Amino acid sequence: MNETTIQALRTAAQCETIQLENGMTVLVKPMEGYRDVHVICGTRFGSADCKFEMNGVQHTLPAGVAHFLEHKMFESEEGDAFAQYAAVGASANAYTSFDKTCYLFSTTCGVEKALDILLKLVSRGYFTKETVEKEQGIIGQEIKMYDDSPEWRMMFSLLQSMYHNHPVKDDIAGSEESIAQITPEMLYECVKAFYSPANLVLAAAGNISKQQILDAIERAGLTHEKPNVKKLPIQEPFETVCKYREFEMSVSKPMLGVGYKEVPPTTENQLKTALICDMLSELVCGAMTPFYRELYDSGLAGADFSGEFLCIENALCLMFCGETDQPEKVRELLQQEIDRLRCDGVNEELFMLCKNQMYGGLVCELDSTSGTAGALCAGALKGYTLYDEMSCLVNLTVQDIDSALQTMLLEENSVSVVIRPESEEEQDD
Amino acid sequence: MKRIELAKNAYLNILPAEKFNRCRITVQLRYHANREKATACALLPFLMERGYADCPDPTALSCRLAQLYGATLSADATASGSCRSLTVSVDGIQQQFALQGECLAKEYAKLALGTVFRPALKDGLFDPAEIEIEKKKLAEELAGEINDKRLYCLRQARRKFYGNHPAGIERIGYPEEVAGLTAQQVTDAWKWIVENSHVEVFCSGLDEHQAAELVQAELQNILRNPQPLPGAQAMPAVELQTYTETMEMVQAKLCLLFTVENFDIEKELSAMRIAMAVLGGSPTSRLFMNVREKQSLCYYCAASFNSFGGMMCIDSGIEPENAETAQQAILNEWKSLCEDLPSEKEMEDARRFILNSLAAVGDSISAQENWYIGQLWRDCTDSPEQVHQQLLEVTPKQVQQAMNKFRFSVAYLLTKEESADE
Repeated sequence: MNETTIQALRTAAQCETIQLENGMTVLVKPMEGYRDVHVICGTRFGSADCKFEMNGVQHTLPAGVAHFLEHKMFESEEGDAFAQYAAVGASANAYTSFDKTCYLFSTTCGVEKALDILLKLVSRGYFTKETVEKEQGIIGQEIKMYDDSPEWRMMFSLLQSMYHNHPVKDDIAGSEESIAQITPEMLYECVKAFYSPANLVLAAAGNISKQQILDAIERAGLTHEKPNVKKLPIQEPFETVCKYREFEMSVSKPMLGVGYKEVPPTTENQLKTALICDMLSELVCGAMTPFYRELYDSGLAGADFSGEFLCIENALCLMFCGETDQPEKVRELLQQEIDRLRCDGVNEELFMLCKNQMYGGLVCELDSTSGTAGALCAGALKGYTLYDEMSCLVNLTVQDIDSALQTMLLEENSVSVVIRPESEEEQDD
Repeated sequence: MKRIELAKNAYLNILPAEKFNRCRITVQLRYHANREKATACALLPFLMERGYADCPDPTALSCRLAQLYGATLSADATASGSCRSLTVSVDGIQQQFALQGECLAKEYAKLALGTVFRPALKDGLFDPAEIEIEKKKLAEELAGEINDKRLYCLRQARRKFYGNHPAGIERIGYPEEVAGLTAQQVTDAWKWIVENSHVEVFCSGLDEHQAAELVQAELQNILRNPQPLPGAQAMPAVELQTYTETMEMVQAKLCLLFTVENFDIEKELSAMRIAMAVLGGSPTSRLFMNVREKQSLCYYCAASFNSFGGMMCIDSGIEPENAETAQQAILNEWKSLCEDLPSEKEMEDARRFILNSLAAVGDSISAQENWYIGQLWRDCTDSPEQVHQQLLEVTPKQVQQAMNKFRFSVAYLLTKEESADE
């Protein structure tokens, strides 16, 4: 690596990190020449956090609370935060995943006001019986919308086939039945437990300075309270739930999903494991592999056949999905290819190309305000920096992958799901 | 944007990229939609993503892109009114991040230009074996449109709206024609596009002279006879056509299409932009605030305007049993904007929303390219800053006038089986 590259990388990955007295982590990346500002505030509270203890009291949540809360945090006694953002010209959004909930906005004007809205939004909740009931209807519709998505249903069918108890098996939004159990009191308890500054990360990128962020935090007058919260472990046996499921949907072609339940990494190994999983999915069936070409050119699978992974606390799995007319055949070929890689070892040239590709992906992510703020926030919530991510990637070796393959992607830990097009008889009914 | 004419109807458009970590080159061939060639034209992007003369093997091409630090190559067929385009883009990191100091931008340009102008031909034709492989993929994609219910409903509505008009010629081809496509037809379609099209090359992060040299070198070797492109279209107002289609699904989709009358794209586009934001294109819009939030009739409900196709589209995700109520509520919002002026607050919220989006255009390499791609379809090169000024001058009266230009033409409901039986 030459000096110019080192300097360019340093500049791209550099940011100001501040650990506030109240425990909040703040990351700021001013980006010269940009007019936009993107700010994300994330909490380590996602759909998989269903059991916790706060100040000695145990809480068990129905599926979908984190996502429900994400919707409700936009409401306050003064009205809807979306409208407040719009009044200053900012575009806002939020999302919930298995292990986090993030609130974000982008704007080219009125950044101070938008910051005030964001910090108020994440620091206090306002829930009444009526507003909770109304939201149950709105989220019920959102759940139904995802019910029509074959990709979404495939992912959760695979997770339900792999996991007995871990909440990753439940839809992030929950079900109509589970969200019907949500009460204002339950939401207030969750805000107290997971929305204290010590559990929050605020990342900002673009046309903004550290001082603007610190001033906004000062104005927000955030609490210094740090409730004693402990996420309770879920007892999950290593065995899968069932090896095979199939069901019908109105799709044009069958869809195959193959999931591999893996031993979850320790917290300190999460980053390296995530990179290994990312690379494994590429090395098994990425566009550079002869296996992908074989599937594609023979018509056994389409360009969408690919792998992804889930790596969170106490859960690790890889999933390969795509459309195919011959799911059984593709499933067999996939396992054969994985077994071949395990036996022969990974091609070193292909490994280097994958590494190159991942490096390029990281660099590209950092040229937008949203990509930069998103990467900073996601890393900090998991306890690492962009530099850690780049170093971990640089230090990854082909031996790491070969070694991982000895214990991962084993047939005995796999499950498969097939979605078939609706049968004619049923359509005629 | 700096625009340079390289040959008749062939332009190089230079965009700034100093602040980005990546650079991008896009080659776009614009042509008049042709019904007979539509399916062959739709197959071309599939073949082009497999490789080109200098790198005909798809696996080798994927490896080459990975070697260029995960550069991406995408080929696409797009539609704009009665025009179509074949677009190839290559996007990757800038040279200063290259671990061996390679000159990456030039490589990206060579890949994009080579893909468009020098495809992998065998004896002067696309390889019949590869055509057979990609025909299957195209057929699957066409059959798979029912997987995305929102998009499917939208496409079905558009088919009814445009009927046999050239603007309705399928950009993605026709399922019944795929199997019969031959190597000769597909090669002829490529030659026809290259010969008859207008060439627009967009470069972000590549030296202007180097880019011009590379494009000119490609143009020198091909036969060119660019044909005039049709302008913006508008369908005549017709009596409302209502359709209901059923399938196994949970949430219903409703798509309402309106044709526009006497619309002056040059003078009235800014008013229309504000009008869309007031009606249903922003988080403060009437459809969002009233139909979705207050009345809880839709999970999503948005309005958009296709200036080149002369069409306003309002699409929504609804409870099957609410279809009629939701449609009425949506139409009420439109009608009320036709009858009464929008409030000052609505105007300012909408204006602020659009101005904010415009100001951010220059912060994304693909957004700035998309902006000028859209502008050039309208024969215009106004920057976001120039449009900013026009938006400041739009009045509530102009918004009302814009709304009154629409005529409700098509209502398409995609819903679950039992609710249609009820």
